[in-house]
Amino acid sequence: MSDLKTNGSAPPSLPPPQPRSPPHLHGKRRELSRAQMLEREIGFLDEELKSLESIPPASRSCKEVAEFVTGNVDPLIPTIKKTRKSWRFWKWFCGACCFDFSCICCRGCSCNLSMPRCCDCMTCNSCGNPCRNCGIPACQCFPCCSSKCFKKWKCSLNCCCCCVPKRPCCPPCSCTRCTCYPKCPNLNMCSCCNKSCCFPCYYCM
Amino acid sequence: MSVAELKERHMAAAETVNSLKERLKQKRLLLLDTDVARYARSQGQTRVSFGLTDLVCCRTLQGHTGKVYSMDWTPEKNRIVSASQDGRLIVWNALTSQKTHAIKLPCAWVMTCAFSPSGQSVACGGLDSMCSIFNLNSQTDKDGNLPVSRVLSGHKGYVSSCQYVPDEDTHLITASGDQTCVLWDITTGLRTSVFGGEFQSGHTADVLSVSINGSNSRMFISGSCDSTARLWDTRVASRAVRTFHGHEGDVNTVKFFPDGHRFGSGSDDGTCRLFDIRTGHQLQEYNQQHDDNEAPHVTSIAFSTSGRLLFAGYTNGDCYVWDTLLAEVVLNLGKLQNSHDSRISCLGLSADGSALCTGSWDSNLKIWAFGGHRRVH
Repeated sequence: MSDLKTNGSAPPSLPPPQPRSPPHLHGKRRELSRAQMLEREIGFLDEELKSLESIPPASRSCKEVAEFVTGNVDPLIPTIKKTRKSWRFWKWFCGACCFDFSCICCRGCSCNLSMPRCCDCMTCNSCGNPCRNCGIPACQCFPCCSSKCFKKWKCSLNCCCCCVPKRPCCPPCSCTRCTCYPKCPNLNMCSCCNKSCCFPCYYCM
Repeated sequence: MSVAELKERHMAAAETVNSLKERLKQKRLLLLDTDVARYARSQGQTRVSFGLTDLVCCRTLQGHTGKVYSMDWTPEKNRIVSASQDGRLIVWNALTSQKTHAIKLPCAWVMTCAFSPSGQSVACGGLDSMCSIFNLNSQTDKDGNLPVSRVLSGHKGYVSSCQYVPDEDTHLITASGDQTCVLWDITTGLRTSVFGGEFQSGHTADVLSVSINGSNSRMFISGSCDSTARLWDTRVASRAVRTFHGHEGDVNTVKFFPDGHRFGSGSDDGTCRLFDIRTGHQLQEYNQQHDDNEAPHVTSIAFSTSGRLLFAGYTNGDCYVWDTLLAEVVLNLGKLQNSHDSRISCLGLSADGSALCTGSWDSNLKIWAFGGHRRVH
């Protein structure tokens, strides 16, 4: 901008107007918020430092952990092995038939067992009956996770009602969806109805 | 105050914070007079010993057509819900391996799922930043899909983890990529409390995991990409009760110890740790040495009923069973027969502690149970 010429009585010329820089309000608020958050954090850290004066050492907590752990039963931890003679036969029999010695199957024990590989078919859900496919006595082998069943023999007279298929002792089927047409060869058996169930076969979706 | 002055104030505060954190770290070190393993050894504890057939895979749940990301057991019965990259939730009967529900999700990008305490509903969340609730007893629509019964929206980032408040079908807690956790009232669909966030003290990065205390459901732990875990009281959303430092990477998973006074965590730094919530002490580190420099990340953890075993899933497909007292690996489910072929992404123990379920990127879930001998009563 050109310099302005003035006569002697005129006021001194003002500098040309400059465009104003945009206000930093958004950045200011953000910076203030960050600073305040950190100052708050300082307060919390100070509190924590003071609290350490009265906190017991770690050994006390370690003792509590050890006492808790050793004082509680754990379904997944092996304990003392104790096999009865009658079970050894079934263990050998099932182990020999199953082609997979990592599976243990015995009748009438209170262990949680795995299903032998060769009995891995739907018909072997029938407790106590030999498998129609392989002829091996179906194992009472499902780990029954209900707390009521934990020590019960599956499908004995005192079977719990989480057995599959449902026994006479079990509550009636509450499945409301058994309008029953097979969707595809891979049927989903509704465990409470013993029927081919009508919800979509997952393999076909 | 000008922006420049504020920036200076911010820098000065940051320096003070770092200095205080260092002082805290040193003071805590002085209080760590032992850890669980040293104490247990001094008491003559011997490690848990597993035979080859003691923990076996007794079920493989096949049906997902994509990676399994999350699973949850019902609190009572033997049902499992799983969430997968294939955009579905499947509800399984764990005893029979049968699928009772296959729920096609409105948003396929699901990351987490949970069963309600009653077993009547399931919740899921993911990249849509929402948590969707499905009532399993609802009528399906004309396409055979289960309708969404409630949508919990409000997060500004993905929902990474969700858990129902124990014994309350009407409340759940979510963890999110927006750095917050939220306690929801499902009946109204509204947020009851927001933990952390822009204007409150909390995590400074994505929150990846949440675990509610089974002994005191007002307390929960969150794990975050900021390498910390935080303890929250649902009555006080303005700040965490305590922050737990120690991990050197994202804390992917947190789980309360059965006694309710400790919790475990698993991280991208390859370690699991046990912390005490009352004192803040790190009681134990569970770290397996690896020959190469890259230790696999811990994706998921669970404690056995007694707390003696810590199950930890890793990105390389390993699933270590740690003896928590002696900090030794006693079994690797990833090397057993019928193990998963890929990363273990999630795992969880059944309500009575007699079965473990693992989920994997190989699209399967597996049930592991005790196949050995026990003392006969």
